[in-house]
Amino acid sequence: MKISENWLREWTDPNWDTNTLSEELSLAGLEVDGIEPVAGAFTNVVVGHVLSVEKHPDADKLNITQVDVGDASPVQIVCGAKNVVAGMKACCAKVGAKLPGDFKIKKAKLRGVPSNGMLCGASELGLPDDGVDGLLVLPADAPVGMDIRGYLDLDDSIIDVDLTPNRADCFSVIGLARDVHAVSGVALTPPFKDKKMAGTNECPQSVKVQDAQACPKYLGCVVTDFDTKASTPAWMVQKLQRSGLRSLGLVVDITNYVLLELGQPMHAFDLDTLKGSVQVRKAKSGEKLVTLDEKELVLSDDTLVIADDSGVIALAGIMGGLSTSVTLETTSLFFECAHFSRLAITGKARKYGLHTDASMRFERGVDPMLPERALDRALALFSDVAGGTISQVYATISEVHLPKSTTIELRSETITKRLGVDISKAQVQQIFERLGFDVKENVFGWELTAPSYRFDMSIEMDLIEEVGRIFGYNNLPETPVYAPMTLSALPESEQSLLALKMALVQRGYNEVITYSFVEESKQKLLEPTLPYVLLKNPISDDMKAMRTNLFSGLLQSVAYNQNRQQPRVRLFESGLVFYKNDSEPTGATQVPMLGGVITGNAFASGWDAVERTVDFFDLKGDVETLIRMSHQQESIRFDVCEHPALHPGQSASIMKNGKEVGIMGQLHPSLVKPIGVSGKVYVFQICQDALMTMQVPAAKAISKFPEVQRDLAFLVNEGTAVQALVDSIMAVESDILKSVELFDIYRGEGVDASQKSIALTLKIQHQERTLQDEEVDALISEVLISAKQAVNAELR
Amino acid sequence: MQEQLQTIISHVQDAVKSVLDLAKLDEIRVQYLGKKGELTSMMKMLGKLSNEERPKAGQMINEAKQMVQGILNAKKKELDDAVLAKQLAEEQIDVTLPGRDVDLGGLHPVTRTLNRIETLFLKAGFNVETGPEIEDDWHNFEALNIPETHPARAMHDTFYINENTVLRTHTSGVQIRTMENKKPPLRIIAPGRVYRCDSDQTHTPMFHQVEGLIIEKNASFSQLRTLLIEFLREFFEDDSLKTRFRPSYFPFTEPSAEVDIATNLFGDGRWIEVLGCGMVHPKVLTNVGIDPDEYTGLAFGLGVERLAMLRYNVTDLRQFFENDLRFLQQFK
Repeated sequence: MKISENWLREWTDPNWDTNTLSEELSLAGLEVDGIEPVAGAFTNVVVGHVLSVEKHPDADKLNITQVDVGDASPVQIVCGAKNVVAGMKACCAKVGAKLPGDFKIKKAKLRGVPSNGMLCGASELGLPDDGVDGLLVLPADAPVGMDIRGYLDLDDSIIDVDLTPNRADCFSVIGLARDVHAVSGVALTPPFKDKKMAGTNECPQSVKVQDAQACPKYLGCVVTDFDTKASTPAWMVQKLQRSGLRSLGLVVDITNYVLLELGQPMHAFDLDTLKGSVQVRKAKSGEKLVTLDEKELVLSDDTLVIADDSGVIALAGIMGGLSTSVTLETTSLFFECAHFSRLAITGKARKYGLHTDASMRFERGVDPMLPERALDRALALFSDVAGGTISQVYATISEVHLPKSTTIELRSETITKRLGVDISKAQVQQIFERLGFDVKENVFGWELTAPSYRFDMSIEMDLIEEVGRIFGYNNLPETPVYAPMTLSALPESEQSLLALKMALVQRGYNEVITYSFVEESKQKLLEPTLPYVLLKNPISDDMKAMRTNLFSGLLQSVAYNQNRQQPRVRLFESGLVFYKNDSEPTGATQVPMLGGVITGNAFASGWDAVERTVDFFDLKGDVETLIRMSHQQESIRFDVCEHPALHPGQSASIMKNGKEVGIMGQLHPSLVKPIGVSGKVYVFQICQDALMTMQVPAAKAISKFPEVQRDLAFLVNEGTAVQALVDSIMAVESDILKSVELFDIYRGEGVDASQKSIALTLKIQHQERTLQDEEVDALISEVLISAKQAVNAELR
Repeated sequence: MQEQLQTIISHVQDAVKSVLDLAKLDEIRVQYLGKKGELTSMMKMLGKLSNEERPKAGQMINEAKQMVQGILNAKKKELDDAVLAKQLAEEQIDVTLPGRDVDLGGLHPVTRTLNRIETLFLKAGFNVETGPEIEDDWHNFEALNIPETHPARAMHDTFYINENTVLRTHTSGVQIRTMENKKPPLRIIAPGRVYRCDSDQTHTPMFHQVEGLIIEKNASFSQLRTLLIEFLREFFEDDSLKTRFRPSYFPFTEPSAEVDIATNLFGDGRWIEVLGCGMVHPKVLTNVGIDPDEYTGLAFGLGVERLAMLRYNVTDLRQFFENDLRFLQQFK
């Protein structure tokens, strides 16, 4: 909400400069988003009366003017503005004036003609653009020679306050002033006297409130025989403008003014357009209303409306209708000043796309006791300017439905306990008195009754907050939290995600964080059949589907970097993926994953290395590092797999205890272009849970006896996986076979084209004695039999 | 004899001069000091001398032997030195060339910041809790005292999946889950991704939060403020960091505050909001079965990206999610 600082100071004027006032408002919980001076910094600009205008002899676009600036004799000023005319009042910068931008006005000659000052436009004075190309035109009654800053009240700033939803009571000048008073202690001095304005003649317009719960108070009043030509006074236009409201004619201006000043939304109808009685009721489903801003709404039956015999004429508490609106031809008025309940209004503005100053206030709550005062204030302002005859007030009030002021007990012990500070009883009492509470002391503390505008008060903590807020959060003492010293658990069998991430970092990976929602079409390319969760209101169409894998984001990051001359990319990400699953309460199984991608050269710098690009086994080495960090190499296996995103000959599923926990491989060549990357790209992802369990090491005794190594070369069919051969050897039951390691794969001369030679080292050792040759030989022959049976392997 | 020995020594000196390798030097040693060498032979002749002459002659021959050995040793050292010098010269390298297989990536600055935050609180005895990002209405809103009609719902630009399911707008749901499942006292932090339907220069639709929660029997708002000031000072390693607590409003805390720090990131010392905090609202405690008369809760929520920007001098929020290597590689 934007409010003129001077307007606020009319109500309460602490001895604070603008910055202090703004800081104090913020520290009272009314956050100031910005302060804008209403005009630039300038001096010595006065109201000038243009006495005469003559063409400049040597310049088509210039005029020579004589201007009365209130001095003994007029001054001659050469002026280039198009709208300069004799008789007008304008802003005149005298010689010696300083304009915004440190622009000094001196005696000058323009095309040979002396000029002693300058006539100014709005922008030249740092004022908001008034839409006029030329001078800022002043009213005819502007006093000649008066300083413009004083005349236009330019020593003012616009304070922009960002209110939290609980402080609806501050949505007005009086509301802000009440809090300034509470904080500063400076008296609250309303600039007007409350006056009962209702007349004696009966209100000719009847009102029927059919939903007293939604509208517990409705005041109506008719004004006739007023000056239809009366216009809004300049001071009011200016205050409205400084709050960002355009002047829209006297009646609307006055309702807006009261809204800003007191916080009560009002509406005025053209009495002559109303048919029958005014009704406050819920809309009938399908009823229509054309609003003031000429939108046609089709209403639903949960919407509170104002209606007459012709149908709906206004959306209650939100906006009036076009057909009954006040126009230049209006000669009699029906003022509405009502209290609508929050629940009746909440959500409706959003539903119809009509956020108005009125709806904003009613949604958050308006003081239920305010309508009487606000109506009187509006009628007083109106009759001051336009006169007229005011009827009696047609009041429909349902006391049972009006919010009641609550009385809450505040214990002084609770203040100390919850805020952690001792505040004297006198100070607490003063805080609540200044906040307008009715204060009664009792044995524990106080019985406090909140003023009607503080309907946010309902429990003791609400009061504690008020004490803290006015006492000042920044004045609280520094005291640490006291809690028993206990040690936290340190489970050694849990791997830390950070350690896994650091392992990847040390292998050249950079961590990325990508959005959890991805482009639907890209996700479908990668996993065409997997169902996914969709957002109802995505930011944009390419951020609509919750990811079912980490690949989309990783690949998008690869593309981004490849497009920026970064051919070597190694990235990883950790985060949730979301599998649609209707049996879950949230409709999705949410699984923490760790994934990575590599492409480009295998080595970062290659001044003496062989330059080559990465391949499957570079990536597998990285994945195996992660697995080994959790000492799980035995329980994890890589199986040949098929995945739509991956190259069918270069993809593996990562299996833990027979269950797939991850996949890895080369991005399918046919997806490279559609995904937007280039070259060969390798990806992996693995469930974090599979990496998170570690074994606490239990050391075994080292054998003191010599180890025997036997190298065996097997011939197997080309299609046979090395893993299958190794498995067949490890399948031999033996206490002495310690390990089998691959050291060579050979194809070519001496080996049939349909076969390959696999060379393995078997390490054989006994724990308690030196092995005999016969024992080793016996083991080897068992190995040969097993390999032959399992994969038809022959010793080469 | 003296002359004869002198001749031998000078022969040795001459012979050694032209020697280029150890083999040749050894030949010379054999020639003079070997079993059949010249000096050895002379030693054998001593027996033929008289008893008076023998000691003196023996001494002279021994001295000659030592001199010859000395000459040979000197030459051997010279040859060894030359070999080593040659090896060293051959093995000289350009030590300024880069080392092999240096390939260091980096953690994302947001992760780095999260770690920093987590570590500070872990040291104070907090536990880290995590939870789902697709969240139900109860945990994201209802339990936190934000019913459907509450105006605060409008403060959250929520991504909806359906009427009852949202992308979590804060990690407060984790606090609710923890309070539902564990008995107080509690000290936890809940870091993670959160989502708001908002995207411009200063908002990304996904960002990170760390929320903290303390449930104790006698916790006060002063203690919360003290803890958070201490946290901010340790996080920024700045004991004179200026902070400002402003009263604010969250449906799930009361009293509530927003905390600003004075920063020079934009060159003007302006206040920048870095966190929100407050005492857990009695209704929230009741919602999770904790007696608000027995326990009080202190809660706070930190914006991780905001802290990362201030800590690491990042002026554009959106850089965190562009994942440009030239940006990321600055965070080793």
